[in-house]
Amino acid sequence: MFSKRLHLLSLIMVLLLLFVTACSGEKTTNETQKEADAQKKEVTLTFWHGYNPVEAKHFEENVIPNFEEEHPGVKIKSVAVPYDQFYQKLITSISGGTAPDMIRADLAWVPQLAKLDALEPLDQLMDDFNTYKDSVFPGTLSPNKWKDHYYGLPLDTNTRVLMWNKKMFDDAGITAPPKTLDEFYTTIEKLSKEGKEWGYAEGGTGGWNVLPLLWSAGGGVTDENMTKSTGYLNSPESVQFLEKLVELNKKGNLGPSILGGGLGTADGYAQGKYGMILDGPWMVPIFKDQYPDFEVQMSLIPEGKGGSVSVVGGEDIVLFKQSKNKQEAADFIRFMLSKDTQLSMADVGQIPVLQDLAESDYMKNHEYYGIFMEQLKTAKARTPHPEWNKIDTAISEAVQYALRGDKSPKDALDEATVKVDAILAQ
Amino acid sequence: MEKDLYRSKQVIFFILPAMFFFLAFNTYPILKALQMSFYQWNILMPSESEFIGFDNYLQAMKDPVFWTSLKNSIIYTTVTVPSQMVLGLFVAVLLDQSIKGKAFFRTLYYLPVITSWVVVSLLFKYLFNSQAGLINYILKDFLHIIPSYINWLQEPGTALAVIMLLGIWKGVGWSMVIFLAALQNIPEDLKEAATIDGASPIHFFFKVTLPLLKPTIAFISIMLIIGGFNVFISVLLITGGGPLQKTEVLLTYMYNQGFGNLNFGYGAALSYILGAIIFIISAVQMKIFNKPVDM
Amino acid sequence: MRKQKFLLKTVVYVLLLLGATITTIPFLYMVSTSLKGQTYVFEVPPKFIPTDPTLQNFSDAWNSNNFQGYFMNSVFVSVLTTVIVLISSSMLAFAFARFHFRGKRFLFMIILLTLMIPGMMLIIPQFILAKNLGLLNNLWGLVFVYVAMNIAVNTFLLRGFFEGIPRELEDATRIDGGGFFTIFFKVVLPLSKPALATVAIFTFLFGWDEFVWAVISINEPEKYTLPVAIATFHGAHQTQWGLVFAASLFAIFPVILAFVLLQKHFIKGLTAGSVKG
Repeated sequence: MFSKRLHLLSLIMVLLLLFVTACSGEKTTNETQKEADAQKKEVTLTFWHGYNPVEAKHFEENVIPNFEEEHPGVKIKSVAVPYDQFYQKLITSISGGTAPDMIRADLAWVPQLAKLDALEPLDQLMDDFNTYKDSVFPGTLSPNKWKDHYYGLPLDTNTRVLMWNKKMFDDAGITAPPKTLDEFYTTIEKLSKEGKEWGYAEGGTGGWNVLPLLWSAGGGVTDENMTKSTGYLNSPESVQFLEKLVELNKKGNLGPSILGGGLGTADGYAQGKYGMILDGPWMVPIFKDQYPDFEVQMSLIPEGKGGSVSVVGGEDIVLFKQSKNKQEAADFIRFMLSKDTQLSMADVGQIPVLQDLAESDYMKNHEYYGIFMEQLKTAKARTPHPEWNKIDTAISEAVQYALRGDKSPKDALDEATVKVDAILAQ
Repeated sequence: MEKDLYRSKQVIFFILPAMFFFLAFNTYPILKALQMSFYQWNILMPSESEFIGFDNYLQAMKDPVFWTSLKNSIIYTTVTVPSQMVLGLFVAVLLDQSIKGKAFFRTLYYLPVITSWVVVSLLFKYLFNSQAGLINYILKDFLHIIPSYINWLQEPGTALAVIMLLGIWKGVGWSMVIFLAALQNIPEDLKEAATIDGASPIHFFFKVTLPLLKPTIAFISIMLIIGGFNVFISVLLITGGGPLQKTEVLLTYMYNQGFGNLNFGYGAALSYILGAIIFIISAVQMKIFNKPVDM
Repeated sequence: MRKQKFLLKTVVYVLLLLGATITTIPFLYMVSTSLKGQTYVFEVPPKFIPTDPTLQNFSDAWNSNNFQGYFMNSVFVSVLTTVIVLISSSMLAFAFARFHFRGKRFLFMIILLTLMIPGMMLIIPQFILAKNLGLLNNLWGLVFVYVAMNIAVNTFLLRGFFEGIPRELEDATRIDGGGFFTIFFKVVLPLSKPALATVAIFTFLFGWDEFVWAVISINEPEKYTLPVAIATFHGAHQTQWGLVFAASLFAIFPVILAFVLLQKHFIKGLTAGSVKG
């Protein structure tokens, strides 16, 4: 009795399945496009960004109103998406057909999104693209290029510098921040008190985290043309650096945050548990807000065989193919790159990207941008490859394996090199 | 009984509303998932999806992370289900005595059950912080059980332990309430008779109470096993499957494959594998308890 | 003998208190943290009584990021889900309990089967369905999926209850010429208030707490429900725990209140599935 019914059930399931397959031709977006064109009067552009609350407030109160005044009929919808969920949310919404018009994208995402065919090439859309192209720092522009087109323009730039805790340095009798990598390593040991205080803390093992020190130590990821990683990611310098990191970790001198435990770097640093961290300009206003009594001390990344090399960060503005109001969006992009807007956002920790502003009084007299501008001179970008997140995962896993003692630093990096080479060869 | 039932075409009006939602958002997705699991599903251009037969299923068999996630789901279920049941029954037996403040205790034990997974997951993440968390402080500085702070969320083993502890802590109240209701259904005169006979309470518990609870035990264990394989939010929010994907469970892996890597076809195949596992376990269990659960 | 009994009672109380302590300490600590400024949330040694208690987190949470909007979104989604589930599953349950129709057993079996399928399994095809129906990033999309997720279990619960209602009560209405809808609305539903209350409470709770579908299908913060909003308060690098827990307390307070007030219905709903209903 039961099995008979089961047969019937499976038969019906199969039939329904066929039905589903037959009906699954999915709608194109053409119809909706037409609808939108019809009602051109009032246009709302959605802009996702990962601005922190301080930046977002400034952006919404001081930047958007100016734009809307200049462009009657165009409204900007500012959507703050938390940074660590941003990429995933974006990918989900692109695949769901609900992508925003524009986003403020981490520069490492641009090639990935361009390869997904999600982005509008700005050099084709904007006839005055070259004006903007020539006005920004070349280093901030390059990540926007994928194959033969530019898919975005830089909004802001940043990098990481060494931040050190003065009180912990004083207590350990150290008078100045380390200038060289060797000094850095000994300082870490001096600052650490087993299980209570840690000389240096990092927030993870990805490229953004480990590359500044790896580069400064003379290591690398790939050659300049992104053809191979053998001899770079597993060069003697890279291996030596990782060995040093593992050694420090074994002694208990690295904050547990590097493996995802304990206090975050910023809280640990401000609370006097982590002696040194690497961080960006946006942290200065945050420390002021949350730890009013604490004073941030900054200096350049310690110099090694490779120099004092930090990692270039920054965000670009990109426009999605799904957007229905591309010309209006282009106006917003122009507005975001205007001197006034760039200076306005500079007030809340966003370093401007316009070359003209570099020599301005504003920048010269700024409280803390000087050190970041200095560090930016030698800073390098993460590999601008569309599969960067896979390369990043390979690096991150290798460092984790080594730190956890699962693999020797050399083996871990050799294996990562094989993976990265395979990604580059595709 | 059957012949007493109404026979009328009007029944359709009673069936339709529910069936609309059910067919559209339940039945259709079930079949759609089955279809997708045979494709290299292209989410941006579904019409260009490539039919690949059983490749997604075969890929899972060769995928070490799939096996890790399956292993973790099994560990989670085998640890948390019996723990919740034993503790739940124990508390229920305690509460079944004539004591004061029964409702008060019941409320306290039930508090974790009604609190959302998001909140309790974040709460546990905070409590188990290795440097400044309450748990390490209590264990080391207050109770002196451990010599130094444990890096709970940094190591796969301890991270999984935290996730399982959360599962047990959150679930005990549920089993407790159901066991308690079943215990209260046991006739008073049975207990009295046993007391007069001079049977020890422990003897009574194992010889009389436990056999009477058999249907309840069957129900709870089936529900908890399904729940165990369904563990998701706590893993996602506490470890995200890390470090090195070693705490991944079936559902987090499916989620990451689908919404992280856009491998929707593979994700659908993983969900079907999970569905099959749960179906088999439930069927076996019903056989063991010799009677389908009456709902 | 008496002494022994007293001893036993004491042991019972001690054990119960011990267990209650373990279940409640995390909550108490959450309350305590929500009253602390960021400087104090990772104090060592941790303090249960905050050094510098402040209600700042509560006012920040309530006023920041459109939190009141999240609250209203959650109310909207939960209430609508509850109403639709109540209507549709009680009608289906009535059909199962009182009618004979073709394919009844088959339909019943399908519903039984879907009870076993974990809801998360359907998240991918539901996403695609919602995409095609234009229900992504839409609170109605949440409602429809939540309704579908709750129909099966509540239909079971109500069917059991309806079957327990004596048929004689309906016969009078039938003789007076009342149709099926009259019987359903005027006789069966009023007699089923306790069961309906249970369904309402659990469905509401489901909508209030659901996280996964909401986090996947909603991408604009103004449409977040509470669980999604709370999860986004928690950042990867820096989390203001006081704020997270203040927001959490706003979310769980109504639930606890409802539980305390409606405890009987909660317990009934839970046990209805286990004991033959």
